[in-house]
Amino acid sequence: MWAKPFFLKQMTRGGQQAIVFILCVTLSIVTISALESLTHQVNTALTEDARALHAADIIVRSRLSISNNLANQIKSLENAAMIKSARVYEFYSMARAVDRPDSLLAKLKVVEKGYPFYGHIELASGRPFQQVLAPGNIIVAPLLLERLGLGIGDRMKIGNSHLTIVDTVIKEPDRPLNFFALGPRIFISADDLDALDLLKKGSRIRYLWLIKVADDSQLEALTSRLKKTAGLEERVNTYRTANSRIKRFLNNFFFFLALVGMLILLLAGFGIQSAMGALLRDNQKTIAIMKAIGAKSDFIIRQYLLIAFIYATVGIIIGHLLGLLLHNLLFSALAPLLPEALAPTLTATAIIKALVIGFVAVAVFTFLPLQRVKFLKPTVIFRKERVKVKKNIGYFCGLVMILLVFVASVLWHINDYRTGIYFVLGILAMVLLIAVFTQFVLWILNRLPVRSLLLRQALKGLFRPGNATRAIIISLTASVTVIFAIYLVERNLDASFVESYPSDTPNLFFLDIQPSQLADFKKTLGKPAEFYPIVRARVIAVNDEKIDRQQERQRRGDNLARVFNLTYRHHLLADERIREGQNLFQNDVNGVQVSLLDTVQEIRSMRIGDRITFRIQGIPLEATITSIRTRTKESLRPFFYFVFPQEVLETAPQTIFTAINISKTAVADLQNRIVTRFPNISVVDITEALAVVAGVMQKLSKTVRFFTVFSIAAGVLIIISSVLATRIARIREAVYYKVLGARRSFILKVFTLENMFLGLISGALALAIAQVGSWLICKMVLNIDYQPFAGASLLMIIATMLLVVMVSLPSSLSILNQKPVSFLREQTQE
Amino acid sequence: MHIIEAKQIHKNYAIENREMRILSDVSLNVIEGETLVITGSSGSGKTTLLSLLAGLDKPTGGHIFMQGQDITHMHEDELAPLRNQTIGFVFQSFHLVPSLTAIENITFPAEICKDRRAGQKAQTLLERVGLLGRKANYPHQLSGGEKQRVAICRALINAPRILFADEPTGNLDSENGQTILRLLLDLKTEHQATLILATHSNKIAAMADRIIMLKDGRLFEERQHVG
Repeated sequence: MWAKPFFLKQMTRGGQQAIVFILCVTLSIVTISALESLTHQVNTALTEDARALHAADIIVRSRLSISNNLANQIKSLENAAMIKSARVYEFYSMARAVDRPDSLLAKLKVVEKGYPFYGHIELASGRPFQQVLAPGNIIVAPLLLERLGLGIGDRMKIGNSHLTIVDTVIKEPDRPLNFFALGPRIFISADDLDALDLLKKGSRIRYLWLIKVADDSQLEALTSRLKKTAGLEERVNTYRTANSRIKRFLNNFFFFLALVGMLILLLAGFGIQSAMGALLRDNQKTIAIMKAIGAKSDFIIRQYLLIAFIYATVGIIIGHLLGLLLHNLLFSALAPLLPEALAPTLTATAIIKALVIGFVAVAVFTFLPLQRVKFLKPTVIFRKERVKVKKNIGYFCGLVMILLVFVASVLWHINDYRTGIYFVLGILAMVLLIAVFTQFVLWILNRLPVRSLLLRQALKGLFRPGNATRAIIISLTASVTVIFAIYLVERNLDASFVESYPSDTPNLFFLDIQPSQLADFKKTLGKPAEFYPIVRARVIAVNDEKIDRQQERQRRGDNLARVFNLTYRHHLLADERIREGQNLFQNDVNGVQVSLLDTVQEIRSMRIGDRITFRIQGIPLEATITSIRTRTKESLRPFFYFVFPQEVLETAPQTIFTAINISKTAVADLQNRIVTRFPNISVVDITEALAVVAGVMQKLSKTVRFFTVFSIAAGVLIIISSVLATRIARIREAVYYKVLGARRSFILKVFTLENMFLGLISGALALAIAQVGSWLICKMVLNIDYQPFAGASLLMIIATMLLVVMVSLPSSLSILNQKPVSFLREQTQE
Repeated sequence: MHIIEAKQIHKNYAIENREMRILSDVSLNVIEGETLVITGSSGSGKTTLLSLLAGLDKPTGGHIFMQGQDITHMHEDELAPLRNQTIGFVFQSFHLVPSLTAIENITFPAEICKDRRAGQKAQTLLERVGLLGRKANYPHQLSGGEKQRVAICRALINAPRILFADEPTGNLDSENGQTILRLLLDLKTEHQATLILATHSNKIAAMADRIIMLKDGRLFEERQHVG
């Protein structure tokens, strides 16, 4: 049942509070709508275009060369005309011009005829890829030509081969997979592979065998046949199940943005609550009159709830429109990472999801203000009276029910229950902490003896009836905390890895040195260096419990399913110390021993005495943990998760790795000398590699920061709502001040100072929490030194103060022009 | 000596595109130290005249002089010191600052002019009106009579030469009204101030030195009290 005339009047006369309410709903919808669409589209594209992305129906992957059993089976299937296949080898190697010493690290893709079975590789000449990539020819990325000053027809030396550049590649179907590439792409025909002489034992090569099935209906059957033959190191997947690195990366990134979106939803929720409270306060007399003429509380609540839902619908529609805009922005910002031929549109799922979450948020956050209606007495018509909400069992049950519905919406949106619950608990803990701090600070301020009249009046303003001081401080602090923390962590990462890059830190890494080349390499290098033997292996069990690779790969961050680089030595590195155990290895332990870096414990809990089973080139090796090492400082120096005694691994297939520090001007010369003499050795200029990663990270962090600006907008809306809600009270104060002889400047100063206090409290609380949080992240997670950046911190507080002052200033200025007598007359007539 | 002179003042208000004349050609002089009552029926223009004389509003025509100074076209900031130190105003609806306690409301005008003895003066006034025990109470914790006593103390803290009161007992019951009126007159005498009071009550008017009566915005009658 609803009272149409009353309802329509109330709805259309909601005024500025209604606008704030609608904007808060809009804000809560924008990010959900944009992100949900993007995630859904990217996932769909990565699944639907997966065949083109992976260039095959079945993909066999391995870090070691494909086993004979599997190779034979593939060949027999091919002979039976059931499949077509093409082998692909991916690895980094140095490439240089034949007639010049200039060289660079390139990402090589050596492909057999037939590649790609699906998708299209676009060449600058427009010719077909398979026709152009003949033996002796190479197709390169335009960047390579630019960096080495080469052109079409020039010859390059790669490994032991001289190859001719015949074209440049414009578009690859698996472009997103190469986003983090440390060097430009070179396509080489597999006929030239042996001549390259780059496939050495233990080298970092990704072996792929791409398969196209003749009959689509046989896809699953053939895949399972191949799976049965595949060795432990080999992964056989269809294009549907192959999980690309970029998919995992985008999943993680979108998941993080979804969490930020949920934070914005929560803060916008506070805004909805604040605006609804103010709207009801504005209509207090109307509600009292309705009660006086016999309307029941539930009836009135229904009217206002309906109004709220109509406002919410408007907000949701605007939210979707802005969501589309944000979606476009995200598209252009993340373009290089996204699959091609993806058009920015809102998906139906995103629209429905945002709609449900939007309405749930409105129901949740209007619950408390609407409860006030129950306790508002008709006597409010005659005298001003504060409405006291009785918090009985029904009230708390309702609150818990609605909170649970909200938490369920969050979990539904982020689709990861464990992290979702941690996130909700974390956010609630943060808000609770901020609320407690806010209460404490306000309690102190309310009792602080202040001599200065200006300061005292400004402080009193914080406690003005109807002021949403707590809501403003809590929401602003929560949003600003996230921004401050991201900034502080970024600055500390910069300081640790870029700004304070120690002058003696290695900047040039040499990979894949063969043991037989070591003596000659040392001579050519001409510098003392520490050499680290590397044996590539997988962990297959811990304490006889097999590693579930599928499950491990689902894990966010590092996992035990990947290939690890083992090493052997009997000493600690300069930046290592023993955390548990007495020495690296012990005399009283029988069997193979291994020393563990404590970082592994973050992946899985392991202790001294635990047994780890490794598989090295197909041979199992069980080792007992005899010590746990830790790094004294996070840096770019080499480190190893697993260290063995020399005698255990010295005969295993291995490569050698070293890193040296060299002046930037000497890098090119040394690099060229090494590459000329040892074509198989890869030289990585780590400062350049860092720049590539930093470029990507900067783009991502800009996107995250852009999202966090929405959370600030929620805070701003709460300020506006509060300013509007207390406008009459502020005018009253201004008029009283004037009548009692205060100048306009005094009034302006009082209001400005009051807003500065709001900004100061929010900024200072946010900074305190962000400093503690960032310190914990830097020390516990990133393991880097922490600097508080006092100057920048001060600026952040000032910026928060300015934000609050600027948002409130227009209202304060308009109040100043209020004539005392008109206001007093209105008040007396009331 | 005339502490206030009003010369041919007019006041119009625009209400929804309609020009309403509230006061027409009102001229009057206020003698220092007297108790002047402005009386008249509801809507006769009493409050408007009081607001104009106190410098809270500006006339549409005519001039107002306070202590010989033309305040008619003064800027708000120029009027501020006059409002702060020369006049005190007691309103029918009390108009206490809700976020300040009783004593803070009283000390406020004194603090604006940086009076170091503001607190002490406020205590004395509160004691005088019998509210010392409620000094820390906020306006919403006070009764109507108590609020008006606080408002009177606030009006008097800077020892103004002119005290304006607009229906000071209008929102009070008769007993409280009597007490407030008595208090107002006693304090006016103690502070040797001029009291200009607007009321429609004949009983209150009877306590005045001089009464002027407004009818439809015009000065209808002026008489000296001879009781």
